[in-house]
Amino acid sequence: MDRAAVRTEEAFVTTWRSISRAEIELLVRSLNNAYEVVGVQERQGRLTLDRVDDPAALRLEFPPHVHSPKKFLFPNWEKLFRFRLGGRVLLEPEKAALPRVIFGMHPCDIHAVRVLDDCLFEGEADSAYRAKREATLLVGVDCVPDEHCFCTSMGTDRVADGFDLFLHRVENGYLVQSGSPRGKALLTRHAPQVAARPAESPLPLQLKQCAITLQFPVESLAPLLGGVYDHPMWKQIGERCLGCGACTLLCPSCYCFNVQDRLDLNLEGGERVRTWDSCQFDQFTKVAGGADFRANQADRQRHRFFRKYKYLWEKHQRTACVGCGRCSRECLARIEPATVLNDLFTERALPELASAPGAEYQPQLAEIVGAQPLTAGEKLFRLHLPQPVAFQPGTFMEVSVFGLGEAPITIASAPESAGGSDLELVVRAAGNLTRALHRLKAGDMVGVRGPFGCGFPLEEFVGRDVLLVAGGMGMITLRSLLLSILARREEFGRVLLLYGGRDQDALLFRDDLLAWHRGGLLDCRFVVNAPGGDWPLPVGDVTRLFCDLELAPQRTTAAVSGPPAMYRFINPLLLRLGFEEERVFLNLERHMKCGLGKCGKCQINDICVCQCGPIFPYSRVRHLREAIER
Amino acid sequence: MNKPRIGFFDFTGCEGCQLTVLNLEEQFLELLELVEIVEFRELLSGGGGELAIAFVEGSITTDEQACRLRTIRARTRTLVALGACADTAGVNALAGLRTPAELCAEVYASDAPHLQTHPPQALAALVGVDHRIPGCPIDGREFLGVLQALLMGRPPELPSFSLCVECKLAELPCSFESGTVCLGPVTRAGCDALCIRGGDRCRGCRGLIDNPRSGPYHRILEENGLSAEEILREFRTFNVPGKGGR
Repeated sequence: MDRAAVRTEEAFVTTWRSISRAEIELLVRSLNNAYEVVGVQERQGRLTLDRVDDPAALRLEFPPHVHSPKKFLFPNWEKLFRFRLGGRVLLEPEKAALPRVIFGMHPCDIHAVRVLDDCLFEGEADSAYRAKREATLLVGVDCVPDEHCFCTSMGTDRVADGFDLFLHRVENGYLVQSGSPRGKALLTRHAPQVAARPAESPLPLQLKQCAITLQFPVESLAPLLGGVYDHPMWKQIGERCLGCGACTLLCPSCYCFNVQDRLDLNLEGGERVRTWDSCQFDQFTKVAGGADFRANQADRQRHRFFRKYKYLWEKHQRTACVGCGRCSRECLARIEPATVLNDLFTERALPELASAPGAEYQPQLAEIVGAQPLTAGEKLFRLHLPQPVAFQPGTFMEVSVFGLGEAPITIASAPESAGGSDLELVVRAAGNLTRALHRLKAGDMVGVRGPFGCGFPLEEFVGRDVLLVAGGMGMITLRSLLLSILARREEFGRVLLLYGGRDQDALLFRDDLLAWHRGGLLDCRFVVNAPGGDWPLPVGDVTRLFCDLELAPQRTTAAVSGPPAMYRFINPLLLRLGFEEERVFLNLERHMKCGLGKCGKCQINDICVCQCGPIFPYSRVRHLREAIER
Repeated sequence: MNKPRIGFFDFTGCEGCQLTVLNLEEQFLELLELVEIVEFRELLSGGGGELAIAFVEGSITTDEQACRLRTIRARTRTLVALGACADTAGVNALAGLRTPAELCAEVYASDAPHLQTHPPQALAALVGVDHRIPGCPIDGREFLGVLQALLMGRPPELPSFSLCVECKLAELPCSFESGTVCLGPVTRAGCDALCIRGGDRCRGCRGLIDNPRSGPYHRILEENGLSAEEILREFRTFNVPGKGGR
């Protein structure tokens, strides 16, 4: 309504005047008549903010370790009201706040007051705090950071507003900058000769240097913390933390409090007061009944960090920590926030920093410890891996011959053998790389990466009969499964292997299979496409072996592995016999290259073989039109 | 109408805790408006009868004392251990480092069999103790607070936080800053850090907080150059963490 007043408010312009030390002391003396002037002085060998009796003792340059002005704006043991007992309870309100000037606040502490404003004026404004805020004038002074300050990282080493006056040190005295109409009026009334002086030009921004800095922008703090709630760092901090509460007591923006009653000695009346509390104390989160919702120092310190660097930032877009360094300076356990945050950032934001780009494509170098021809075209390689791998039967490795490339090869041995550091691979010399592999001998090195893919889930076979149907090279994959089964033979029912090959000499692991058959461990039946040789084997394809076969499909799990054409006949056959679709496992291979689901070469419709297979239950691939013809 | 009857008793100790109560001076007189002191050897003669609250100072060192303690326990509704000697045996527990004969020989230059006693024990080793006022000596204001709570029918609450809080509130320089080891971080607050105010360090006379962070604290002591034996010796002065012999 009052336009002139509004215009005055809008028209506030900061002014700069020169002022000498002597004039500052006169100003303080004059202020002492109307206000309680509080400033940094030496008391019992220690610098502290206290009532100024002798302006000559006032310090305007003081180190950052002086305790913050929080004790004046939000005091400990603040009386909320008095009450009288006896008959009716009478409440007596507190008296008005004492007008005060805090003569000497570093920029970080001025920022901290804004944080307190954000929190305490939010919702229902805290009347006791507001009363003090309105009755207190703030005079800022400059500072030199020490080795604990990190205000430059938090943007709190300089302040543009939030103060009534600011004293800048210059060569022959000071420049006093007014920051509010109140500050200007203060100068006019209590130091008129200064106010009447011609204006000076503003000082250029003074750059400060901090020894400790955050290695990342302050805007990244909240997202960083969002990802590290369960990080082991909090437990480590918790194991060092004394729970003494010094960090929160010294922090200029911490204000959590308790409310208690204090009785007079005569028990006739008393006061309700609020006292500083701390999230680091026992009792802070304890409820009636004894449950404690934040019962250990790890959780408590995490809460402190999250409150200062995430929760309050997300609410008010202002850093609740002002980088004053008080908590780190006086922590006996040397918990330093900037160090903690930097460590979290380094580990978290750059997780691959430890390994170079492309690390997942680098093979480990395995030594060939044995190379044994199995047939005319296939060789069994035994490899020793420097770093053991864990795998399921049916999965594959990517094998590198440097200079020729990398190819996927099924693991032919079982996981149970050699603790994962020795693998067996069977390689048919079909292309450049495989032919090169065949030329290698024991002692040579190859690269291996993996294992990749999903293998046979052995739990689907346990306690049931097992039907293995192998065609040609498909036997290699099934050998891994068979070895796993034989290692725990008593857990399975009948094991039946139907194996079809080109001719007698093409059959892999013939001697092992015969030995197991004769030993009664499995029932093994062979069929060949072409007759000939010293064995009286039936001729035809694998389907022939299903004639006169006694099977109990309802309690059998089947695994099928062979050339693509084979599935066209075997799958319908198994389903007609009554096998469940979830209990028929197929080995579907494609051109796997990266093994990581990235290169796209092994896709079948919408899935990647290297990620979802090569072993699939039939039910999983039923819908894939490209997979197999029904 | 009937003011609660309270009594003060003492066993093996210096009587400093009772003296602290008397040192309350005007406040002590105000106290008399609220309670009737029926037994207080330092103050008046006579006594006997049932009590609402008995404040007992000192440790128990003879069978006669044990007997007398049990009688007091039977007479009173509430028994409060007054001071470290009653609460944890305090400095008296140092007697346990020698045999009674050695101790007498050292102090009296004779084995003085009539002066030999049992190792001093806290009250709780022999009778049920309802509340405590810790410290060596106690803090007068804390005594008033506890008494007030008992008169209001409220269980007295001692601070669960450590002395560090009081030092930080008083803006005192931390002893560790000057390389002096201090038991403050694990000692119960409530004395307003008066030893540190006086330029000394905390020796733990008020006993441990309920939840001392021993692991972190011992690590800090080791970082300050204390060996395990030295750490134990620090805690032995006031028989910390003695908890009333329990």
